[in-house]
Amino acid sequence: MRGRQLMALVRKDLRLELRTRETIVAMVLFAIVMLAILQFGFGTRDDDLTRFVGGLMWVTLAFTAVLGVGRSYVAEREQRVLDGLLVSPVPRTVMLGAKAIAIFLYMTVVEIVVIPLVGIFFVKGPYWDAIGWIAIAAVLANICIALSGTLFSGLALFTRARDLILPVLFLPALVPVVIAGAGATHAVAGGPHDMSEWRGYCLFLLAYAILFALVSVATYDAVFDD
Amino acid sequence: MVTARGLVHAYGERLAVDGVDLELGPGERLALAGPNGAGKSTVLRLMATLLRAQSGSLEVLGEEIPGGARNARRGIGYLAHDPLVYLDLTARQNLELYGDLYGIDDRDRRIDELLDRVGLLGRAEDTVRTFSRGMAQRLALSRMLLHRPRLLLLDEPHASLDARGAALLDDELSTATADGRAAIIVTHEVERVARVADRLMVLRAGRVVLDEPTTGLDPMAVRRRYEEVAG
Repeated sequence: MRGRQLMALVRKDLRLELRTRETIVAMVLFAIVMLAILQFGFGTRDDDLTRFVGGLMWVTLAFTAVLGVGRSYVAEREQRVLDGLLVSPVPRTVMLGAKAIAIFLYMTVVEIVVIPLVGIFFVKGPYWDAIGWIAIAAVLANICIALSGTLFSGLALFTRARDLILPVLFLPALVPVVIAGAGATHAVAGGPHDMSEWRGYCLFLLAYAILFALVSVATYDAVFDD
Repeated sequence: MVTARGLVHAYGERLAVDGVDLELGPGERLALAGPNGAGKSTVLRLMATLLRAQSGSLEVLGEEIPGGARNARRGIGYLAHDPLVYLDLTARQNLELYGDLYGIDDRDRRIDELLDRVGLLGRAEDTVRTFSRGMAQRLALSRMLLHRPRLLLLDEPHASLDARGAALLDDELSTATADGRAAIIVTHEVERVARVADRLMVLRAGRVVLDEPTTGLDPMAVRRRYEEVAG
């Protein structure tokens, strides 16, 4: 039953996104524009920005995540459907899981564009052989972003100044993800291939994801039912 | 089916529901009326488990609320002012979603049956955004009935339904007693609902000021009785 409910909610979010194409297109465009601004802001194509690549990429992804997470309950809010979901016998943790999966997928699409672009824009040394390792770190970071983003967007949903509250709550929670994501990227991008450092950051991301999963499961009922 | 004792709910400083007692048995249809701001919709949302009472006790479909809310929700059908459907999904996709959320085994057959009944089978593959308000509310009616609820909670249902939808709803409410289903109908149209309800409860400033049977009474007599107590 829970699996069927989860799949139905994920399918609904993907159907809405495929029909409206509002969130993913905005996220991808925002990320590309931000990378271009950073490229112009930090130097020309001739400057070697390899040592900054982790930070540049993960700051871009963090702000892009804020954009996507901010839209995660827009359909329910604007079309006033939330009561329909809340009056159905869906465990709130299933709603959390479904929204988290949708955000995870949106971020994955953004990263499919951003990770190669970062190599083109900023890296002078070898990069393409490190993409697999960066992708693994990105998957772990996406789990953290999806879980924390879903929790905070749920909290912000019931506040009047939700568009202001969400970044204020969500961005501080992303700081550890940015540090670990940037660290993991820096460890392998541009040639150093420090795998023990990469592994350490990935373990940190995994621990952070587990922590947020536990916090979300413990609190999500209260977010919607109190 | 519903037993409420001393229900209290406030929005901040403002007390919306102030010690409401309510008993509803199988097959009963209760019209809940009162002036604007009397607390009718808040009472309905408490019954629908969408709000939590700040004090008092509530049992819905044999489940203590809030502890047994999830089990109770399986048997609740809720029709609100808004149709509670996604505008960018088709009528069928909306009902498929709710069918899966309620775990309906014969989902597709049931969807076809209900869409046919509300006259939307021919528009099943159209997005709700292209529907008129009345059509969207007829879809909401099929959403509410999809999982064969035992308790119908209706918030001013006739206000947004078109003639066809209203006739369908009245038909549904008329057969409810025979099936043992109960209904609470929040309304301003007292005389209209008096035709299908067998009890009238009137709220004023969050308190019950009238609770009496209407069976056999002329709808206009029910209206006059309502006006006497509602002020």
